Amino acid sequence: MTHEFSYHAPGSLDEALALLSEYGEKAAVLSGGTDLLVNIRAGLSRPEYVIDIKKIPELKALSYDPEDGLHIGACVTVNELLEYEPIAESFAVLYAAGAELATHQLRHRATPVGNIVTASPCGDMSSPLLCLEAEVVIVSQNSTRRVALREFITGVKTTVLAPTEIVKEIFVPPTYAGAQAGYQKLKRIKGHDLGVVAVALVKHNGSFRIGINSAAPTPLLLPDFAAGTPVEEVQKAAAKAISPIDDVRCTKEYRAFMVGVYIERLMKEVGA
Amino acid sequence: MKRVQFTINGDLYEREIHEHRTLLHVLREEIGLTGTKEGCGAGECGACTIIMNGVPINACLVLAVEADGTEIETVEGESKSGRLSPVQEAFDRHHAVQCGFCTPGMLMTIKDLLQRYPKPSREQIIEGIEGNFCRCTGYEQIIEAVLDATGQLEEKGEIKHA
Ligand code: FES
Ligand code: FES
Repeated sequence: MTHEFSYHAPGSLDEALALLSEYGEKAAVLSGGTDLLVNIRAGLSRPEYVIDIKKIPELKALSYDPEDGLHIGACVTVNELLEYEPIAESFAVLYAAGAELATHQLRHRATPVGNIVTASPCGDMSSPLLCLEAEVVIVSQNSTRRVALREFITGVKTTVLAPTEIVKEIFVPPTYAGAQAGYQKLKRIKGHDLGVVAVALVKHNGSFRIGINSAAPTPLLLPDFAAGTPVEEVQKAAAKAISPIDDVRCTKEYRAFMVGVYIERLMKEVGA
Repeated sequence: MKRVQFTINGDLYEREIHEHRTLLHVLREEIGLTGTKEGCGAGECGACTIIMNGVPINACLVLAVEADGTEIETVEGESKSGRLSPVQEAFDRHHAVQCGFCTPGMLMTIKDLLQRYPKPSREQIIEGIEGNFCRCTGYEQIIEAVLDATGQLEEKGEIKHA
């Protein structure tokens, strides 16, 4: 890393927020570092201050209660999420998507919150969390706000997060706990590549919903379908909603085609 | 500059380091443990895999300051006693090392894998090394070496069928 910065590791959220309010855009928040350090190395991010939030105990919180829902603290890693029993038991779509995220080594550092904050169109956590109607809890020195994930991500790698704010946690309401679900992701090589396209499906109370990654500037959530809706109808609705691009990984036609294929497979697999 | 302390392969190190340096660079260039390699520097190839506080991570994506107070294991620890580890010996027997660039990271990933699954199946091995690129061997020799090191190969190199 040739770009130089100073490193701070506050032990409390108050301290971290004070640093952020002082340094604003000159600061970058570091958690897993799997995006930030890559961006710094590539010269895409040039912070003067790096604020490591991993020493803040409350950001490690991970809890689930059938009444209250699921709380995923900012510094919970993807592997910690996968090892937390309620995830495999009650949030199948998160479990499936988490297991597809990058590699075992990376999952020990990468965090679901970081995945959302990076707001890449291919972030594995986004479409499943959209299906589950997740909310993002954002704190700054003098306020706390909750934003629905679908409003949090505003474009390719952009969010509503201000430079003085930190995402404290992702909150998943208990609404879809226990729902049957699936996640299908196309990549060129297992583990070593960004997703080419991915589809999440969550079935709930006589209807089902579909989230799609890497087929539009932001991850998408389609309006709910009634159980028994024919595959072709769902595929048509998806084709209308997406706006895929050509890139080094594949053409837009292939992306659109694979969205259709995955919808069909998931509908069969989950029995939608 | 910040003063940090960590244990590497059982030895305590204390260093004054630049805050922007990665753990990988500090290991290689300041501590002189050049076993761990840098391939991509971006979390994709796994050549820099080390074990930190008991879990395998990409050392290219960790700042050295973040490692303050941690316990680190690198490939140098594998043969600290002066003898190759059983997995290293199996790598040797099965020609699982060609250019060798992926080997240090591969060995650390496998060390972690064997801690989780002492007798991993072929599928578990393939899954386990998903984060480590090897551009030479085609992986087959590596898989065989792990099966052999865990007593799952017949003498002739055939895979035992239960
Ligand atoms: S050098 Fe760290 S993953 Fe490639
Ligand atoms: S032996 Fe050359 S990359 Fe694996």
